[in-house]
Amino acid sequence: MTRRQQIKHFILGNFLFTDDDNALADDTSLIQQGIVDSTGILELIGFIEETWSIQVPPQDMTPANFDSLGSIDRYLDGRLAG
Amino acid sequence: MPLPLVARLEATATEFPHRIALQQAQRRLDYAGLREASSRFARRLGSHGIAPGDRVALVLHNSIEAAIAWYGTWRAGAIVVPLNAQARERDFTPWLRHCGARLLVHGDGLEDAARAAAEVGVDTWVPVASDDPAEASGTDDGNDATSEPPPMPQAEALAAILYTSGTTGAPKGVALSHRNLAANTASILDYLRLDADDSTVSALPFYYAYGASVLHTHLAVGARVVLEDNVVFPHLLTEALARERATGFSGVPSTFALLLDRGQLDQHDLSSLRYLTQAGGAMAPVLATRVRAAFPQARLFVMYGQTEASARLTWLPPERFDDKLGSAGVPIAGVELQVRREDGGEADIDEPGEVWARGDNVMTGYWNAPEATAATLVDGWLRTGDLGHRDGDGFLWLAGRRSDMIKTGAHRVHPQDVEEVIAELPGVREVAVSGVDDPLLGQVVAAFVVRDGAAPTELAVKAHCRQRLAGYKIPKQVAFVAELPKTASGKIRRAALKGSAHEQA
Repeated sequence: MTRRQQIKHFILGNFLFTDDDNALADDTSLIQQGIVDSTGILELIGFIEETWSIQVPPQDMTPANFDSLGSIDRYLDGRLAG
Repeated sequence: MPLPLVARLEATATEFPHRIALQQAQRRLDYAGLREASSRFARRLGSHGIAPGDRVALVLHNSIEAAIAWYGTWRAGAIVVPLNAQARERDFTPWLRHCGARLLVHGDGLEDAARAAAEVGVDTWVPVASDDPAEASGTDDGNDATSEPPPMPQAEALAAILYTSGTTGAPKGVALSHRNLAANTASILDYLRLDADDSTVSALPFYYAYGASVLHTHLAVGARVVLEDNVVFPHLLTEALARERATGFSGVPSTFALLLDRGQLDQHDLSSLRYLTQAGGAMAPVLATRVRAAFPQARLFVMYGQTEASARLTWLPPERFDDKLGSAGVPIAGVELQVRREDGGEADIDEPGEVWARGDNVMTGYWNAPEATAATLVDGWLRTGDLGHRDGDGFLWLAGRRSDMIKTGAHRVHPQDVEEVIAELPGVREVAVSGVDDPLLGQVVAAFVVRDGAAPTELAVKAHCRQRLAGYKIPKQVAFVAELPKTASGKIRRAALKGSAHEQA
């Protein structure tokens, strides 16, 4: 499973309660669509920190990095590249 | 008599044409621009055939365009029906039908609203957002931009219908006149003392009475409203407060809990904040005390109200915070309060009863619902449904509500709304939904399901709710139980469910 698929799987299972891959597009806004709320974002970031053994510093917690599957994947590209 | 807010905007725009009224990310709109954009919006409504008294439904996320839509609809003499942008098709359909909307103005991508409009047969318009908000609401569509605008609405004319209940039974739309909103705005200004030098960062949606009142009070005096999307990233709110040198901030209890926990308050200069307001449900005294300690220079206004009262009914003067900690305070200017017994007689000091209120801010009634109106407006008084008592100094102390409504974050959830959706699933014999305490959100939605044969899984229950309900209504907890606690007459005792979800989930 690719990294993007892993993240998608987590979002589908924990916030959309489905295994239907079509339920979430790469650019779906998690916040505007009400998929992730103020508590959900912590679960999502917790999953990412645990799975890829990184710490997400508060200054990185922004919509630009976490508002969609695509943006999360791009953020991790940068974080895991070094 | 206070001027209708849309007429007051004319005066404010004349006095402060170049002050910033609204700000969202890089976009700014000054008062002259807001007045012009509102007039343009009104003309555009005219080209859609909207006449004074028509209902214009708005399904818009908080944005400069949403504020223009409110004032533009008023400028056209029409009635704003602001609908929850997170609601789903099954909510929108009965609302649109019930209010007899003539037009639905909705944001791009809000497909549920569009589908509901198609089903009900309501015309839709999706305004095109522009980088320059002064251009917002699109072109004039060939309409004569120089034509005379309609006269300003009268104070007695209806200004807004705010739906407070879901789909179960008859929808309840709080019908507010221009007089109601202007009076409540004036009363709030009386104690907050806002002026044109004030500015706030607001994440409260305009489709709730609290968010609307923050918008209207600021626009009434030439102050500045900086719009932030949401509270998902609380430290961004703090950053905005510091960057904008905001003088005030308004939140519900969970907003403040989030700011204290994740707002990184100690890393920002918040010395510009002169006041905070809190409404939208009782804030626990321990949280209120923490908030005041975290913002030592800001005066904390604890407030109470309801949509039926335009927004506000009481305020706790900040200097009484310590000796009246936990009280909802005293009536705002122009409001009279009584605590009454079951028989309608006024309760004594310290005697519990139901809170009744009277004033120019009290709604005209529920739209097209004479029975609900008659049960709620009695001899010119509003029955709030809230229980409490007044002490010897006249301060109000609330002790709960008569209804089972769940308050989660900034949202209200009617249990029946969620129960109805879960009951649609095969394998559910009975279901009851209740609010269970949550340290951050105040309450969260919990569902208690009695199985009937092959019951759905917890995941299936949540998945079905996700399809049919706004995100904040999806139960965080689903418990399968053998039976539901009931009264002798067979009514579910929701209060007896509270707190048991964890044990049984």
